[in-house]
Amino acid sequence: MKSGMLNTRMVVNILGFLLIIEGLFMFLSIPVSLLYGEGDFVIFLLSGGITILIGGVSYFFSRNAEKNIYRREGYIIVSMGWILFSLFGTLPFILSGSIPSMAGAFFETMSGFTTTGATILDDIEALSHGMLFWRSITQWIGGMGIIVLSLAILPLLGIGGMQLFIAEVPGVTYDKLHPRIRGTAARLWLIYIIFTFAETVLLWIGGMDIFDAVCHSFTTMSTGGYSTKNASIAYWDSPFIQYVIIIFMIIAGTNFTISYFALHLRFDKVYRNEEFRYYLGFILLFTFIIGTGLIFSLNLKPEESFRVSLFQVVSILTTTGYVTYDYLSWISILGVLILFLMFFGGSAGSTSGGVKIMRVVVLIKNSALELKRLIHPNAVIPVRFNNQLLDTQLITNVLAFISFYLIIIVISMLGMSALGYDLDTSLGSVIACIGNIGPGIGGVGPMNNYNHIPDIGKWFLSLLMLIGRLELFTVLVLFSPEFWRK
Amino acid sequence: MKIVIAGAGAVGSHLAKMLSNENHDITVIENDRERLKNIGSSFDILTLEGNASSIGILREAKIKKADIFIAVTQSESVNVASSILAKELGAAKTIARIDNQEYLFPVNRELLIKKGIDYMIYPEMIAAKEIVGLLSHAGMSDVVDFSGGRLHLYAFRLEENAPIINKTLIDISDPDDVLEYRAVAITRNEKTIIPRGHDMFQEGDLVYVITNKGGVNNLLRYTGKENIEVRNIMILGGSRIGVRTAQDLGDQHYVKLIEIDREKSYRISNNIDNALVINGDGTNVDLLNQEGLSSMDAFIAVTGNSETNILSCLLARKMGVRKTIAEVENMDYIPLSENIGIDTIINKKLIAAGRIFRFTMSSDVTTIRCLTGTEAEVMEFVAKQDSPVTKGSLRDLDFPKNAIIGGVVRGNSSFIANGDTVIKPSDRVVVFSLPGSISTVGKFFN
Repeated sequence: MKSGMLNTRMVVNILGFLLIIEGLFMFLSIPVSLLYGEGDFVIFLLSGGITILIGGVSYFFSRNAEKNIYRREGYIIVSMGWILFSLFGTLPFILSGSIPSMAGAFFETMSGFTTTGATILDDIEALSHGMLFWRSITQWIGGMGIIVLSLAILPLLGIGGMQLFIAEVPGVTYDKLHPRIRGTAARLWLIYIIFTFAETVLLWIGGMDIFDAVCHSFTTMSTGGYSTKNASIAYWDSPFIQYVIIIFMIIAGTNFTISYFALHLRFDKVYRNEEFRYYLGFILLFTFIIGTGLIFSLNLKPEESFRVSLFQVVSILTTTGYVTYDYLSWISILGVLILFLMFFGGSAGSTSGGVKIMRVVVLIKNSALELKRLIHPNAVIPVRFNNQLLDTQLITNVLAFISFYLIIIVISMLGMSALGYDLDTSLGSVIACIGNIGPGIGGVGPMNNYNHIPDIGKWFLSLLMLIGRLELFTVLVLFSPEFWRK
Repeated sequence: MKIVIAGAGAVGSHLAKMLSNENHDITVIENDRERLKNIGSSFDILTLEGNASSIGILREAKIKKADIFIAVTQSESVNVASSILAKELGAAKTIARIDNQEYLFPVNRELLIKKGIDYMIYPEMIAAKEIVGLLSHAGMSDVVDFSGGRLHLYAFRLEENAPIINKTLIDISDPDDVLEYRAVAITRNEKTIIPRGHDMFQEGDLVYVITNKGGVNNLLRYTGKENIEVRNIMILGGSRIGVRTAQDLGDQHYVKLIEIDREKSYRISNNIDNALVINGDGTNVDLLNQEGLSSMDAFIAVTGNSETNILSCLLARKMGVRKTIAEVENMDYIPLSENIGIDTIINKKLIAAGRIFRFTMSSDVTTIRCLTGTEAEVMEFVAKQDSPVTKGSLRDLDFPKNAIIGGVVRGNSSFIANGDTVIKPSDRVVVFSLPGSISTVGKFFN
């Protein structure tokens, strides 16, 4: 095969395999439907069947493909994989009529897989248990990533697997937990499953029924934020449940490598990680400020105001998007602080979205040092992170990321305002989607949803979610002429 | 198998790639960040930035659980030191690359083994040995001996006068019952296939044949090559390989060694008394002519520069030298150089990698060679009491399609394998395998 040509067959082959996996996940809703005596198990049987059939046919006819894939194939497979997952993921909603419009169903599914958690459903509780379960599953799969999942179970070619992993888990730097990518992927999923299970048990002890406990664990660990209730977590009005969810949101927003070391009792590695310390630092700082603000402005009791504050700070910082309190009803400065947090995101290598703490810290450090460089033009002033000097290339990459992020936000705001939305709603919807948060500000605040946005806006916001989930470059590179040049 | 490699230079990267393709867990330690980034993003391995002789780094590489530690950094002292440390920290087996023959003397070897270095490789010395071996079969591109010369693998390129061109394997099969040789692989347009009965030979093919002792003369008849008697040899480059080759060849041959550096030339001539050392630029055609290039039987270019080696070999060939050997360290140049007519390519990386590769096989492998003309490997296994390979005739075994059993050494006799052959325990078996099948082949001999 010539270089410069795309190995299309192999792309089709892997995409086919991914669809088979998705189909199998759809089947998971069947027992749920049967358990609750709902008739729509047929829908899941049908949806899963169609998905597996199409995936299987693609897989079968491309099985003789040359197994080598390079970066370009990696980017295409990952981007297309996520789009196809979302397309086929709409089948249960469409076939059952739960969400009749295509744009709406796609938005809802993409919002699921990208763990955004923005919904277009006016009445979530009207959905059957099977549908709610499927909705939660999309977030759970999307949280750790569909490629990481398939790498863990599919003995893909080592080199090819690497390319896919880099494209789906871009991060700032990537850590391997095991010499083989498959070993790393398997360990990541194992930790993920352990935490999900632990949270389910705790939520169940806290008074949720087992169905809600499972669904909320799925959407907490993936920092997704889909709830099975219209009122989100506020429905339970239980401090215990809120604290459990806070803890697991914090875990989900932590680099999974750190969790891996923590589970292996190697706390030196945890403590020495600079990003982790900043992450906890930001949580404490913002919780303290907002908590204090709430005591004075809303006259809440100290415990309650700090709990509300902690919950909301963690929920937004980790880009989960659960709500216990309408932050838009707070005094203006507290709302703006929440808006601040929407830019940050959780740690690199976690399931959260946003810019990521590490990038924010590198940006701040580099900017501060830039001032020093102005005074000492000839001095060598490198940026340090985790006690290591950072490559200039890495810093450039971080700066490019943040620039792209802001440019996309500004241009997209323009697009949303062209649809007739005010400044708040335009900014809120764009930042909540690209940051994979869910609730934004203005017309898409915590008490509203995205149903009122016209179809074209829904498609556009879906694209933003994908761009944000794959950390910009994996999707953006597909739009560059260089990528397609032979 | 868990393998830690120190050094991501040419040999280290090649090993990492090869071993990770064979499904081993590879960790590479290297202090050059650029190099690490290159291999870390293209192969499925774990990379670790740091000095291989640092205890902290070795611990981080989980050396305690490592089955093999391979030190192939540029620095011999780092290799030796880190191997000793690695052994001390729990590595099961250690291998160090050296560039000093002193360490290989039996007395010193014992000392180093006691200190924890299980095996040392000295690629330059092995390369020199290979060159010497090749010159006694100058018609061949490559020669590998098995079991002390009871079986051979020969590689030769088919030129237009070769009688077997356009014939199939069946056409040339021996009319008698006793097989003396068997073609195990053909490399054509940089792709290697394992030929079956109806595959045809073509001009320009690089053919790999296994023969037993008697088969060699018949083989030459088929290839249209005659055995060249090599007397006059010119070596270009006073590198370690060049000097060692001259030393080994000098007594039976007339050797001229050309070295560009004046100081070095003096030093070399001080060390070698059976070869003529000439101080001059090897790319200077006049100089080469003056020294009688056209009357040479073999030309060996082993300067540190692959391009110089290739070009000077081409020049020698044009002047009528019948056997040219070039050291080519850039892997991408190898097929290219072979296609434009250089007889044999020597590559230190492949030599070192082949030697080291042996240690990663769980089955009993006595020889393994990475061949330069192809990505494939040829190995000699010893069949064990209950190895799966002894469980029936070769035809009935589910042997991988990408590998072929060429010949068998049983006691003092050797024979070429065919479908009816049944391998017996303690037979030595020569297997030719394309990349990726090696572990499967290994299982047959477990």
